[in-house]
Amino acid sequence: MSDLDVHLADIVAGNRDAFAFWMAGAEPRVRDSLRSFAAAIDVEAVVQETLLRVWQVAPRFVPDGRADGLVRFAVRIARNLAVSEVRRTRATPVPDDELEAAAGSAVAAARDPMLRRAIVACRDLLPARPRRALDARLESAGGHDDGDLARALDMTLNTFLQNFTRARQLIAACLGKRGIAIDRELGA
Amino acid sequence: MTDDELLIEQVASAHREASRDELRYHPRWHDLDAAGRIRAYERARALRTMEAALDPTGLSTTVRAVLARLPR
Repeated sequence: MSDLDVHLADIVAGNRDAFAFWMAGAEPRVRDSLRSFAAAIDVEAVVQETLLRVWQVAPRFVPDGRADGLVRFAVRIARNLAVSEVRRTRATPVPDDELEAAAGSAVAAARDPMLRRAIVACRDLLPARPRRALDARLESAGGHDDGDLARALDMTLNTFLQNFTRARQLIAACLGKRGIAIDRELGA
Repeated sequence: MTDDELLIEQVASAHREASRDELRYHPRWHDLDAAGRIRAYERARALRTMEAALDPTGLSTTVRAVLARLPR
């Protein structure tokens, strides 16, 4: 596994491209570290806030000499945010979990070039309407809610969501036919 | 699709309203029970992998959403 701290100097210098590349590797690990909080807090909101805070505090970050120091720091920020949220919302406390284990978990499967080619090939086989719904989500990149995306495609919200669901299910089925093991939830 | 499935699909997106002072939950997250929230988490995790694979530079919609929120 590569050390994402290779991007640290550029991130500290304010290089957004370096931060984007770092986030591409760090995001799955931060998300995985919050799995045990998923019933109590909106993990997506915590992940995004964590990554924003890392950008803000990176200039003051002091590496400890071990690999992926900034990722481990991000996992600690995420964990503290999650615990604060549980307290704030008085949600059911969650058990202590695998902080360090999550920080060291595998790099995202999305970096596997064979898997990437397979997913792209399966995407290219989608029927028109599911493809439009999937593309709208990707192009929006979290910038618009699904209601806005549906209106832009002249669909109702339910139709948009049904088409998006069909897109991911078809991609999951296509990957399955190629003998590629996928996350069960992608095809659910 | 059941109502819960529609909710899970929405909550699994990377869209969250920007906020200066507090975490901004997806509004539909509150409509899910614990099992639905966990499924939304797992769905989001699976989708981010797929999104990154489909992006020419390997970035998920979460990463792109954060980049859009970085102060200039």
